[in-house]
Order: sequence, then structure tokens, then C-alpha cells
Amino acid sequence: MSSALLQAFVGSTAAAPAIPPLAAAALAVGLAAIGAGYAERGIGAAAVGAIAEDDSMFGRGLILTVLPETIVILALVVVFLTLGQ
Amino acid sequence: MTVRFEEQNWESANYEYVITRVRSRRAKLFDDDDYRKLVRMGPSEISRFMEETEYETEMNALGARYSGVDLVEYALNRNLAKHFDDLLRWSDGRLYDYVARYLRKFDVWNVKTIVRGIYSGADANEVEDDLIRAGELSEQLLDQLVAAGSIEEVVELLDGTIFGDDLAEAYQDYEDSGVLVPLENALDRAFYDVLLSGLPTQPEVDSPTGLYVSFLTAEIDFRNLRNALRLARSGAEIDPAEYHIEGGRLFDADEIGALATSTDQLVQRVRESTYGDDLDAALDTLEAADSLIEFEHALDAALLEYSDQLSNRYPLSVCPVLSYILAKEREVDNIRAIARGREAGLDSDEIEQELVIL
Repeated sequence: MSSALLQAFVGSTAAAPAIPPLAAAALAVGLAAIGAGYAERGIGAAAVGAIAEDDSMFGRGLILTVLPETIVILALVVVFLTLGQ
Repeated sequence: MTVRFEEQNWESANYEYVITRVRSRRAKLFDDDDYRKLVRMGPSEISRFMEETEYETEMNALGARYSGVDLVEYALNRNLAKHFDDLLRWSDGRLYDYVARYLRKFDVWNVKTIVRGIYSGADANEVEDDLIRAGELSEQLLDQLVAAGSIEEVVELLDGTIFGDDLAEAYQDYEDSGVLVPLENALDRAFYDVLLSGLPTQPEVDSPTGLYVSFLTAEIDFRNLRNALRLARSGAEIDPAEYHIEGGRLFDADEIGALATSTDQLVQRVRESTYGDDLDAALDTLEAADSLIEFEHALDAALLEYSDQLSNRYPLSVCPVLSYILAKEREVDNIRAIARGREAGLDSDEIEQELVIL
């Protein structure tokens, strides 16, 4: 890649970002939480169904229900990375 | 029970919840081992075995009034009704609509039982015990129907339900011929009409609606096939085209008229159809042993297998629920066959032939 093109590319992104970094991080957490919530909706319904039929499914149902929470944790990592900059 | 049919047609459905519960119940149904044990038991042992299973509540509730094989039979019916009621209780929106459409077959069963009871002059109490209260008709209406003195009265009472018009039409036929076939077919036809009404005729093959429709089409085809074979066998002077149920894709009314005269042609036709592979074994028994009962069992098994396939292919749809309904029905039929068979003194091999096991 020619260095002129690279410079042009970097130059264009180096201009003022659309939103401040903190706002972007907050958006990332919010969107991740919405995604996790949507995923948990289905899993939670299924888990409650399973538990209603068989009490011993409680632990497994709980774990599966909170699995999508990991997305939010990852988004939180992004926040700290942004704060550190 | 009332059917909340129109108003919540387009609400979202709670597939996840219902399907997990249904799958869990499906897993608790009797398996091969249980059947093998049951087949070797005497009638009283069967009762005791049932008291330790899923059917405990019903066996205890009815134990004071009935005994022996009757107890088993009524417990089975009541348990079936309980489970199917549950299905309707759980499901919301579109799923409710789909399940309710299918469970109307118990309305058909109930009305048929009542009509047959009146026809054969059976006692009202006996008829009442044979009902499976899992459909749309209210308890009250069913009680009225049971109390009805004549078939005409039953037809009048059902005026205004989905069966009203068809039954009224068929009643004249029944008066003329004196056999119940026209009435029973009118019931079936009304049921299948409503079953497919409002659903797209050419849905996407891989969508849940598409699978639902293809399952129902398969059921209609099998019903037509069964009717055609029975008519061909009995040699009755009835035009099979008249009793053809619309909506299947295997044959239309004209074809079935021509085919029903010869079992060989009919078998040939089914072999070449899309169901050919599933029904191969069944068709062989039909040709070899000339046994219609075995063939009908094979049809049941094929439908069960097909519904299982569908439920695996599209887990978040109505298909697992349908496959559970079918499996539960087969289980109840099987246990009943075992209990009745042992009572009649059949040996275990003969009973095993009566069972529909995948």
C-alpha cells in the first residue's frame, strides 16, 4: 500500500470522532445489554418450562439463562479499555 | 373449555416455554422396555404398574368407581385429557391457535362416541365415561349431547358449532342409508376444513407454517388412504369420492374413486408417491398378509415418525407439540390394547402386533 494512501486514510479518521469515546463505550454496553436481554428471554422461558417439569433442572437452567450475560461483561471490558486511553 | 381462537391469532407465541415442557413430557412416555414389561403382565399387574407411573393421580381418583381393565381405560382417557388441556393452558397466540385446531379432533371423537352410543342404544353413563374432554366443546354442551335421546337431537344441538352445517346435510343421508358412515365423515370433513382454513396453501417449505401444513396434509392423505382401503375391502356400494377429504396432496376425489376398486393399484400409487419410502414396509405387509389392521398400525407409525422428523428439523415451531400429541395418543392406544388384549387372553406375541412402537 502506498504511504500516501495510508496517510490519507489515517488523516481522515484522525479528524474529530462522531461521538466522544465515553459515549461510544456507554453505547456498546447498552447495545450488548439489549442483545443479552433478548437472548435470555428465550432461554429463560425454556428454563422455567424445564424446571416446572423437573425440579432438578434448576441449576442447569440458571446457568444457561445467564450465559448471554458474558456479552455484557465483554462490553464492560471495552469500557475500561476506553477509560484507560 | 373455551377456545380463544380469533382474537389472539397474531399475538406472539411462547414456543420456548411450551416446547421445553412438551419435550420433557415426551421423554417421560413409556419406552420399549416398559411395553415389553406390560405385555407380560396380567390385568391386575397392569393396574398396579400404572399406579406407580404418570397415571397415578387418575388411577387413584377413579379406583373407587372402577376396577380392572375399565379402570385402566378411564384413567388413560382422563390423563390424556389432562395433558392436552395443559397444552392449551400453556400456549399463547399463534401457537394456541395451531394446537387448538388440532385438538378439535377430540370434539370429533366425542361427537362420534355419542352418536355411536345412541345408534347402538348404549347407556348414557357408559357413553359419558368414554368421552375425552380435551376439545373445544364445553362441558355443558357435552353433557347435553350425552343426554340427547336421538341422533336428530344431537345434530340440532351441534347447530352453530363448526360441525353444524355438515352434520345437518349428512343427516338426510343417514336417514336414507341407515349407516353411520355419512355422519362420521361429515364430522371428519368439518374438522379438516377448519384445520386448514386460513393457513397458506403454498407456504415456504422450510417455514414453521409450511411444516405445520405439510404435517396436516400428510394426516389428511393417510386418512383418505385408510378410508379408501376400508371401502375397497368391505366391498360396500359406496362411492369413495363422496367421502374424500379435501386438502391432501396424494390423490383428488376423482382418482380415489377409480383407485379404491383395486387394492393393487392403490398400493402401487402410494409406493410412487412422496410417502413411498416411509410406507414401504407397511405396503409390503399389506400386499403379503392382506391384513388391513397391520397396515393401519404401520400408517400410524409412519405418521409418528414423520412428525418426529419435522420436530427435529424445526425445533422452535408447533411441530414438537404435534409430535408429542401423536406420541401420547399412541401410548394411550398401546396401553389400552395391552390391557384389553390381556383381558381377552391373547398371548404376548399377538398383543405386540397390535402395538404401534417406533
